[in-house]
Amino acid sequence: MNILPVELIFNTLVGGIFLLYWVVVFITLYHLTRFGIGVQPKRFAAIFLLGVVILFCVSIFAYVNVDINSLLNKFTS
Amino acid sequence: MIKKILSIFKDSSDSFEGQEEGEQVLLLLRRHIFVVLLALSGFALVSLVPVLIATIFSSYIVRSGLLSLFLFASSIWYLFLWLAIFHFLTMYTLNTVTITDRRIIDKDQHGFFNQKVSELHVNRIQDVTVHTKGILETLLHFGKIIVQTAASEKQFIFHQIPDPEKVKDVIMQAIASKKPEMRSI
Repeated sequence: MNILPVELIFNTLVGGIFLLYWVVVFITLYHLTRFGIGVQPKRFAAIFLLGVVILFCVSIFAYVNVDINSLLNKFTS
Repeated sequence: MIKKILSIFKDSSDSFEGQEEGEQVLLLLRRHIFVVLLALSGFALVSLVPVLIATIFSSYIVRSGLLSLFLFASSIWYLFLWLAIFHFLTMYTLNTVTITDRRIIDKDQHGFFNQKVSELHVNRIQDVTVHTKGILETLLHFGKIIVQTAASEKQFIFHQIPDPEKVKDVIMQAIASKKPEMRSI
């Protein structure tokens, strides 16, 4: 009974973090491509996007492997 | 086709918003690369935090079954570290001094939504001063450029500019090339 809300809170928190992450990614990419002068901002944007996608995939993989229910059971017992 | 797409990472006319017709960009300046390397070394130290925690508390993390949670928390740490690094690099790359044959444009980006643009017409420049101070600035050839305008109270200061002597020469040449135009007026 008690576990479900905690799991929900955890998932919502993670969802919020990922949403915030993508908002900042969008703002950064927008600034680099819209206001940058010369080739340097474009290079930065390309490297940034590559890193963003790779790190996000790693995070999703790590998130999937977290079993919050078993962790909670361990700490409550 | 692919070559054409990739060319945006190699060739640029350094064009900018608000560029007048026939206006030529003589120099596009950013702060010295030393500033970036210094900040990146700081970020490199911050990136070691999860590694340090893992080294110190490894046995506890594994014993209490927190490994998956720790790896997830570390991945979030690196996600936001990546954002922080590129926030810094974005500010660095958007802080520019553009010297054209007609004017000097100083763009100061202090945050994503905080930008200051100052413009100075070449024919209003009175003198240009180069200030190199300290061992690092002398060895790495960067320094401060002070541009004095005709209006005595206004001064433009560009910090940590690489090769300031060359920049000064380019500004002086731009002024000299504008002088015949000024006389004809």
